[in-house]
Amino acid sequence: MHTHSSIRTLDELQEILHGAMQLEHATIPPYLTALYSIIPGVNQDAAQVLRVIVVEEMLHLTIAANVLNAVGGTPDLTRPDFVASYPAYLPDGETDFEVGIQAFGREALTTFLKIERPATRPERLKAGNPLLHRKIPPHKTMLGSHPSNKELHFYSIGEFYAAIVDGIRELEGRAQREGQTIFTGDRSRQVTSEYYYSGGGELFPVVDLKSAIDALELIIEQGEGDGGGIYDDDEHELAHYYRFDELVKGRYYLKGDKPGHPTGPQLQVDWDGAYPIKPNLKVAEISDGSELREATIAFNHRYGEFLKLLTLAYNGQPSLLLEAVPIMFEFRNMMLELIRNPLPGHPGLNGSPTYEIGRDAAGPCVACQAGAVA
Amino acid sequence: MSNRVEAFLGLSAELTAFSRFDLLGTGLAERYLGTLDTVVGGEITDMLLAAFVALPPPEDGTRAQALRATILGSELLGDVARALIKLWYSGTWFELPYAWTQRFGPKSADATFVVSPDAYIEGLLWKAIGAHPAGAKAPGYGSWAYPPKIPTFPGSPTSKPDAVSVHPQNAGIMS
Repeated sequence: MHTHSSIRTLDELQEILHGAMQLEHATIPPYLTALYSIIPGVNQDAAQVLRVIVVEEMLHLTIAANVLNAVGGTPDLTRPDFVASYPAYLPDGETDFEVGIQAFGREALTTFLKIERPATRPERLKAGNPLLHRKIPPHKTMLGSHPSNKELHFYSIGEFYAAIVDGIRELEGRAQREGQTIFTGDRSRQVTSEYYYSGGGELFPVVDLKSAIDALELIIEQGEGDGGGIYDDDEHELAHYYRFDELVKGRYYLKGDKPGHPTGPQLQVDWDGAYPIKPNLKVAEISDGSELREATIAFNHRYGEFLKLLTLAYNGQPSLLLEAVPIMFEFRNMMLELIRNPLPGHPGLNGSPTYEIGRDAAGPCVACQAGAVA
Repeated sequence: MSNRVEAFLGLSAELTAFSRFDLLGTGLAERYLGTLDTVVGGEITDMLLAAFVALPPPEDGTRAQALRATILGSELLGDVARALIKLWYSGTWFELPYAWTQRFGPKSADATFVVSPDAYIEGLLWKAIGAHPAGAKAPGYGSWAYPPKIPTFPGSPTSKPDAVSVHPQNAGIMS
């Protein structure tokens, strides 16, 4: 049932890099929603951690686009399946785990830790790096799929990125032996630091094998740390996994700390200090004609426009990223309003962005018609 | 949501011209109702809410006039309603006028104060003028190149152009 996981053609490489963009983007809605669900005045440490991480995920998305552009691809964030349908699924060894839209809290943190620490394959299963068969139904989003067969997915996000790195080495090696290169992309399509400020790391142009590998390693290290250490390669930054771990442990890491044993100052987390949003809310669950429903649809629409703008920015107009910045702040304000509004017919639960991009033309509120709304 | 909060939201929406969604979106509705209870007391607050609930229905042409007559024109409730409008717009409770205190007696908590740090940030005035509160809700580098986004209120003559769509490079994309 397993098949070989290697990337063998340039088409496959471009497609899996699209998959990497989709994967990096897929973490942004859950992190952002958790961040904006935090009630003002509490959980400032947690808000700061989430903010830093979500900004780095945006950097990773842009890095993946740079690598795709470098190998002659055409980033497209407007593909119908680009934005995950939540809850989406990430591979985690033999079991998949759900990544959903939910409020900040212990459950959200458990998921975030899983996102940032990919599973390690046991020694006995290492031979041949086989892929796994998809277990979740077709209409759900499975991240980390194989580019040529969506029925198969990688064992973990770690192996997904390892396959990309190996594929680039292999294809470039083959091209070089014929006096060619896979790095044929137009240099002007690279998004670099002048278009991207305070963005959680350096954005350098990807033009050859070395810069491509450096770029992908930055993504991997910011997530899970460098070779088991808690810091990234440059020892500047704590990896995402350990930032989330600080919240769980209630204590900051210091340089030299062992994984799982932070020794820095204590920090306070109020696990109930978030608005009680309904997890993985869909527009179809919000009563017809309510202002909340209209605002939820308006947010999705705006998010879709934003992805169109990003697509242009990643296709030769990097300066458009500067114009995208105010829209991201506008999202914050829109999301805060959704999250603070009670969800009609669901006492004790609040609204939430649904991120149904291109999918929110859903029909009338089914649950509401069933009499759920007084 | 309790009937009391419902009535408070209805009253506030009518007094501020912002929708219930906007008001709830500040996260401050219950806090502001609590501010009224603390400053002028539950009894006067309930009288204000009762006067609102007793207004003619929205489809009745006399509603706006009745609101002026029985709430804004009331010696007891008018100044409280005006202080409530200022509270929603600025996040600050403004001390009631001298004449009111002379007539109805001083209230110990009735002093000018900012309700909370987020009350300042969520003041409706910023939204009304398409700006952001100084020091908070930063709109991002370069956003000052775009015209402010002014919300349309019921009765506005025309809707304002969308702030971003007027930028020529984005024409058609960011509508």
